[in-house]
Amino acid sequence: MPTPAPSELTSLQTLFYAAISQAADPASLAALEPMLHCSGSLSVKEGFAAYRGSVKGKLIRCLEDIYPVCQRLVGDNFFGGLTEQFIMTYASVSPDLGDYGAELPAFIKTFTPAEALPYLADVAQLEWHWHRVFNAPDEKAFDMQALSQVAAEQWESLVFQLPRSSVLLRSIYPVHRIWEANQDGVTDSVPVDLDQGGANLFIWRDGVETRIEMPGDGEWRLLEGFAARTTFGQLCADLDQGLASVDASVLLPVFVKRGWVKSFVLGEG
Amino acid sequence: MNLQGVGLGLRSVHYSHILRETPPVPWFEALSDNYLGGGLPLHHLTLIRQTYPITLHGVGLSLGSADPLNWDYLHRLKALATRIEPVYVSDHLAWVSSGGHYFNDLAPLPYNEPVLNYVADRIQQVQEFLGRRILIENLSPYLQFSGNDYSEWQFLAALAQQADCDLLLDINNVFVNASNHGFNPMEYLAAMPVDRVKEIHLAGYEQQGSFLFDTHGRPVQSGVWSLYQEALERFGAVPTLIEWDTNIPCFDDLQNEARKAETYRCQLQPQAN
Repeated sequence: MPTPAPSELTSLQTLFYAAISQAADPASLAALEPMLHCSGSLSVKEGFAAYRGSVKGKLIRCLEDIYPVCQRLVGDNFFGGLTEQFIMTYASVSPDLGDYGAELPAFIKTFTPAEALPYLADVAQLEWHWHRVFNAPDEKAFDMQALSQVAAEQWESLVFQLPRSSVLLRSIYPVHRIWEANQDGVTDSVPVDLDQGGANLFIWRDGVETRIEMPGDGEWRLLEGFAARTTFGQLCADLDQGLASVDASVLLPVFVKRGWVKSFVLGEG
Repeated sequence: MNLQGVGLGLRSVHYSHILRETPPVPWFEALSDNYLGGGLPLHHLTLIRQTYPITLHGVGLSLGSADPLNWDYLHRLKALATRIEPVYVSDHLAWVSSGGHYFNDLAPLPYNEPVLNYVADRIQQVQEFLGRRILIENLSPYLQFSGNDYSEWQFLAALAQQADCDLLLDINNVFVNASNHGFNPMEYLAAMPVDRVKEIHLAGYEQQGSFLFDTHGRPVQSGVWSLYQEALERFGAVPTLIEWDTNIPCFDDLQNEARKAETYRCQLQPQAN
């Protein structure tokens, strides 16, 4: 049996965390101070400030790394204010800092100073998805041999699966154009016309290369069906009713070849 | 595999240079927390591993936390270690989480008997799961708890003995702590068990008001070099790493810093033999 944590350690760490978190709970700070001492050049107050500043710096640098386009769009001061408010609201809940910041797109929608930038939340969403796909675990190639062994009568029950890390993102703004125009090294981009229409984007990774695709209407319908884990039979029927020009049996091998479909399972028949 | 010489911290801005030029660096240390997923970062690390020995260094084990061990993290770390076959796996004498919240920074522990037993037990669990000894690194705490039964160096030495783990001695941290908390750094070095110190870290600190802050963002300072020399005389030519995490310079500057450390090590060789 593992040794249980000493109870004093649990309470001490709870207080310590509350004292150095960005909300800096004054009651926790007051409760902790008698338990600490100084014997050198560093005061307790300076010690707390050092931790608080270090933690804050790490979280802000993490958000800057994940959301460089948003930062570029709004400028350092605005982004600094946004991230400062965000880290006051959201704590990190993972040892991996790459997991921090998922809620920023939704937070932007509630951030009053960003009201004049209605596309910003969607750009942030694109950046978050790009970051997650970029760092996702590698996936195995599609098992064609296993598919060839599926009996013909079972095909209607097959559920084809997109890469686990892939994402479908729909925006009423041309977020992909905004994203492209604000990449490092892009200096001669044409201004993006927000009225040019929205975008349906498929974000996935081809080997080690993260890609943002703009599928056509039929491809998008099929991708949505796969993402919803619809059986192949149902999907074909749905597409027949909605978009007569989409033939799932033609698109499926194309998707497999591109790497947009990575696996399959037998669903409910 | 034995490590030799002065290695460098592997940082993403240098991937392409390393892969293109294969510079004469004896080994690299990768921050394990950055490679627990996949994709390009792990691809680059895997390619670099084909040419160089690698050590894995993390902050996520949270060995001193009252929270249960994070087994998801441990499984991912084990998978990474299986793939990369690092010479060493290391983390810190610290905690980074409380109640499931992480502050992703290294906080100090009270140094008493119950905490010693608790942390030693957790290190043993980790070592058993990973199937290898790990190295525990001393940190640079900015707060100290009252009523400690042990000094930090006594605690670290006792922990290594009880958990049967090895040590990663950060000379910059010893120097920064001695300055901030008013002790003799030689006392720290003297307490460390020679046979368990398997790696040394060197980094730069910065003056912040009345205290020193371990930023890893500038060259190693002269006082740290002097302490390094003392450490080499006590521990021998232990593999040494140049750590640089903020304001990361060009690769040549890192190599120059490594050459400087190598000079100290070479001066030691006649004595060591």
